[in-house]
Amino acid sequence: MKCLVSLPEALWVLLTFVSCLSIVAATDYFERLDLTPLPLGSLLASFEFRSNESLEAYASQDFRYFPRSLGQVLQHAGTKELHLRFTTGRWDTETWGARPWDGTKEGATGVELWAWIESDTEQEAMRKWLTLNQGLSGLFCASMNFIDETRTTKPSLSFQRTGDHRNASLHLLHGVLPGKAGVASLLDGHKVFDASWQSMSVDVRPRCVSGQNCLVEIDQTIDMVLNIARAKRPREDPIPRPVQPYELICDETKPYHSQDTCYPIDALETPAWSLKDVFGRPAAGACPLAEEGGPEAKSLCLNIPHSQGVWIGAGGFEVRSPPGEAEKRCYQMIAGEPFDFDMPKTSVRTHKQIELEEELITAERTMTGHGAAKGGMRTVFTNPSATEPVNLVLFESLPWFLRPFMHTLKAQIVESEFPFEWEIIKDLYYRPAVDRRRGTQIEVVLSIPPASVVMVTYDFDKAILRYTEYPPDANRGFIVAPAVVRILDKADASGNAKAIYLRTTSLLLALPTPDFSMPYNVIILTSTVMALAFGSIFNILIRRFVAFDEVPENKIGKLVKSARLRVATLKEKITGTKADKTE
Amino acid sequence: MCGVIVGYLFGLGYLKFLAPPERILRWIEENALLPGQVHTYFHGTEQNIFRAYKHEVADVLEVQEHIQPDGSKAYMQATPQHRNKKIRELFANSGIKSAVQPFKYTVGGVEYEGENVYGIVHAPRGDGTESIVIVAPIKNFEGQMNTNGVTLLLTLARYFSRWSLWSKDIILLVTPNTSTGPQAWIDAYLSQHDPETIGSLSLKSGAIQGVICIDYPFPHRFHALHISYDGINGQLPNLDLINTATQISMGQLGIPTLLQSQQHYAKAEHQHHYKNRLKVLGHGMTNQAIGHSTGAHSVFMPYHIDAITLTAVGEGWEDEMAFGRVIESLTRSINNLLEKLHQSFFFYLLLQNNRFVSIGTYLPSAMAVGAGFSIMAIYLWLKSGYEQREEADVPVREATERDAATEDKVEAALADSNLTNAQLLESPSNGGQRLTKKKEWKSIDRPLVIPLTLVAGLYLTSLVPVALLVTAPHSKLLARAGSLSTVLLMIPFGLAFALGANRSLMDGSFFSSPQSSESANGAPRKNTLVFSDLSPPSDPKIRISQFQAIVKSLSLLVLGLQLTVLATLNFSLSMFLGVLCTPLAFAGYYRDSKMRANASLIAITLFNPFVAANAATMAAKLAGYYNDNVGMKDVLRLWLQNVSFGWNVWGSWGVLVGVFCVWIPAWTVATMGAVSSFVIDEDGQLPRKIEKVKEITKDNLTDVKKATVRRNSPGPVRKRKD
Repeated sequence: MKCLVSLPEALWVLLTFVSCLSIVAATDYFERLDLTPLPLGSLLASFEFRSNESLEAYASQDFRYFPRSLGQVLQHAGTKELHLRFTTGRWDTETWGARPWDGTKEGATGVELWAWIESDTEQEAMRKWLTLNQGLSGLFCASMNFIDETRTTKPSLSFQRTGDHRNASLHLLHGVLPGKAGVASLLDGHKVFDASWQSMSVDVRPRCVSGQNCLVEIDQTIDMVLNIARAKRPREDPIPRPVQPYELICDETKPYHSQDTCYPIDALETPAWSLKDVFGRPAAGACPLAEEGGPEAKSLCLNIPHSQGVWIGAGGFEVRSPPGEAEKRCYQMIAGEPFDFDMPKTSVRTHKQIELEEELITAERTMTGHGAAKGGMRTVFTNPSATEPVNLVLFESLPWFLRPFMHTLKAQIVESEFPFEWEIIKDLYYRPAVDRRRGTQIEVVLSIPPASVVMVTYDFDKAILRYTEYPPDANRGFIVAPAVVRILDKADASGNAKAIYLRTTSLLLALPTPDFSMPYNVIILTSTVMALAFGSIFNILIRRFVAFDEVPENKIGKLVKSARLRVATLKEKITGTKADKTE
Repeated sequence: MCGVIVGYLFGLGYLKFLAPPERILRWIEENALLPGQVHTYFHGTEQNIFRAYKHEVADVLEVQEHIQPDGSKAYMQATPQHRNKKIRELFANSGIKSAVQPFKYTVGGVEYEGENVYGIVHAPRGDGTESIVIVAPIKNFEGQMNTNGVTLLLTLARYFSRWSLWSKDIILLVTPNTSTGPQAWIDAYLSQHDPETIGSLSLKSGAIQGVICIDYPFPHRFHALHISYDGINGQLPNLDLINTATQISMGQLGIPTLLQSQQHYAKAEHQHHYKNRLKVLGHGMTNQAIGHSTGAHSVFMPYHIDAITLTAVGEGWEDEMAFGRVIESLTRSINNLLEKLHQSFFFYLLLQNNRFVSIGTYLPSAMAVGAGFSIMAIYLWLKSGYEQREEADVPVREATERDAATEDKVEAALADSNLTNAQLLESPSNGGQRLTKKKEWKSIDRPLVIPLTLVAGLYLTSLVPVALLVTAPHSKLLARAGSLSTVLLMIPFGLAFALGANRSLMDGSFFSSPQSSESANGAPRKNTLVFSDLSPPSDPKIRISQFQAIVKSLSLLVLGLQLTVLATLNFSLSMFLGVLCTPLAFAGYYRDSKMRANASLIAITLFNPFVAANAATMAAKLAGYYNDNVGMKDVLRLWLQNVSFGWNVWGSWGVLVGVFCVWIPAWTVATMGAVSSFVIDEDGQLPRKIEKVKEITKDNLTDVKKATVRRNSPGPVRKRKD
């Protein structure tokens, strides 16, 4: 972790896995940071750390490049391939363009986990899956042990193995824990975690390079979108106070512009920034573990047009991408030398901006209706392409207390410039919920015609939960996990099938909620009344009533009496003697 | 009858006692709100930006003076499209995504068109599950241009987007008005809209946790903030929201707050006076009973979204930045919420900005008024089911020491009467030899088929005039209302005459065959439709009054039920209706008392919906709510249009259902009874001189005993001459 960019220490539970390895072969470790300025003063930072371990070494628990704690959990739970995602915030497609890594390194808001587990039976697989969750829960300080059977699904169409497996009896299990969970809240970096969106991933998979030379690869990524202006605020005073009048960036061409009237145009500008501004400190130099030459060694890349000037420090060399490729520049750092650069202020009006890739499809999922009894789910897909239809799988994992009516599942074209008939729903995989046992799983294969907006809707009922089934904390509603959209039939430049994923936002499901304070009030009140009544009645019942003079004297009474007597005699003596004297 | 009076007096009196100064002080129940606990930073150079934005907004909102090339002046106003373009441009200038939603409502042949513009400040790191809405209508509820409000919204939008602490998205909505714009928007937000006429929203966020509407309709500085909170159909936002706004405004920023247009009738230092509290209560109840929109916030309430409007009022030294800080602090408070606002109260009446009456305290008043009708219905029901019949004379021992013994005897008889429903009679004709005739209350059969049909028919068809009114085009609304009221006025008279002409409907002989309708002793045959061991009353006259009593009892029963149910839905509407319907409990068929019959007729003539509508318009005219050139007819038309608009756009059913389905059916039944007492009397077939029925108590018993005897009997006691 100290290798690449210095992030606040103790942040990355994940990254402790890659730190401090002693003698290694350079090819087994790779790291990289991509920085892409986005419109409206944002910056996308994508970190990637990858390391390998040979399968034999992994099996014999000879961990060198692989974190031992994670490896042992995986081996114990028979997990052959693991994908773990922590995501917070929302990727703003409209402003930021296509997702980093085509959405493959990103999860649902909260924690998302899917794994291939080796086992002979389904029950065995589920048992191992729960073990895995418990283990990871402790490892990542995230409440992943709450991914129980009700939150677990077995997707059939949405996820595919990315590793090379030899064993056929593998079970895929998928679980989502929506909400602000775990690591995201644990990590406390005032700068980094002020990000507008952030996603962390851990992928473990076996890879076989030439048939027998097999490796276990762990790939960790962290992607985040930072607001540069916000990140630049001093740590001691992060409050966005109104700026001083001289700091205002005004449009002076306005007729009313004056000393006290200012039409701001600062949103069009990206302020100047450097690594130190954004991450709090410069990069610590090249990692001694990483390769020392070749393209993989240039571990810091900046996706900006060549026309833009950047001031670089002494600790690195700049290499620009050759013409024909997307314009970017990478830096080769020197081990042990801190590296930083200064990016000058840019403006939309004067500087060429990098062209953002457009997303193939946008999906927006919202709930319709109101009230505590029923509602509807509406997912809107927009295909911006004028010529290309998009085939996709919509995967929804719904909690059991949300009961969809499948006969109301409808897909219709809301807006289209495409004049032909189109069959939207191609295939459907549905696994109904069992109350309190498992949730609903819906996988729909859809085809979205070009230049069209398609709306998929269904109605649902809200179940009434038992009193004890509500979470003990403040109840704002239940979060329904985001839907996963997998785009099918897409190939990359070299013709290989390419996975593209995107996820919708999570939803808040308001269930009929009893007034929890009321039962407590009643219990407290009843208990008070009972206690008072019991106390007084019990008191009266066990008391023995006797006449005053029948009461035998107790010891204290005797003591008091004798003491009083003595005092009296003493008094008498004194007064008696006194009287004697006066007489 | 006493029950009604007691209920009525209790109800009204109760309400009057609600206003004393020692009513509950308001407090904030939701801990997460922490009102006024944050520093507000909306000041300094933000004002420079506000001024610039105000130039931009005023350019498109207000009428601009242009000097044409020839030197003459021209006045122009930007088109709505131009206006929305500018607002979107200002959103974009702050880096906020925005969208436009066109909508069109057609009510009574009139089209209400417009376009909403809204932007969303996404909470950084937020998951988009919750949101806060801030609304600025371009024209406020009074139709004034809300230039400062819209500018404030845009400046705040820019300011809010710089903060990273939001846990909920902030939606900023600029609507063209308060009546249709917000309704179209929230309907579309929850996908409850008709996509043919109302545009769907292209940008959405999560569940709305709170709505704040900004209204600052003048350029100068203001003195106080007015909080409007009444929703459609009398629904109210959570009291915590109002309390938070008051707490922030008064406690944190020192801006006084007002309620229910207090600025027009109460000085700030007199707000705690009894009279002013009563006025606030009255205003609040009137608004609640009418159940129409009182601002942009009103339409959110039916969807259980808490909303208030803050309006700047008066001239003072608070500027727009102070208003902005109130909004900032309030938004921060709502942002703190971990749960939906659910604590505190949803049912309350406000008296002053820090005093309220909770439902437990005020509900008994409406319930008491409603219960009065139920008690009356039960009384009439019991009365209609018994008839006094003479049993065989029972000789009683001679009264030897009459003076001394009378008291004892009466006492004994009274004790007896308690058990057997028998009564003591002293026959004056027998002179010295005294006979005690036993008169017993016998259960009699109630013919129910026709009364039930009549009452059920009246209540069921009461929705027909509602449907006719709300579908009428606005141009024909007044004419249709006129003809409707003529028909509705005629119905009770028609019924009374029809029943008078076909008495068989009333005396139970309708279902019996004509030949055998009367048996030898003059008693009618048993009702063939009702299988009951009981026989109907022997006297046809009693049969008629029994019929009338049953009809009235059924009608009052329904009325009582309706009012009590309504009291839980819309307390004020139920209260007002209950008070207006009170005479209906007493008015009805009085066979034997000309005075009561006359009083009934006067009561139903004075307290009927048609007189009330005219009286209300006249009162509104006299109170000066309308210009002199607006006639009474225009006022009435305006009101009818509002009611029709409210029903069609907001789904506001209170007034229409209250008048047509609660008041008019009950009034029709009462009027039918009152008219019948005249119609049936004049009928030739009926013995013109009804033999005077003397009440037993008018005979020999002493006054004190009389009263006691009457109280013990289940109804008025009558004696018939043999």
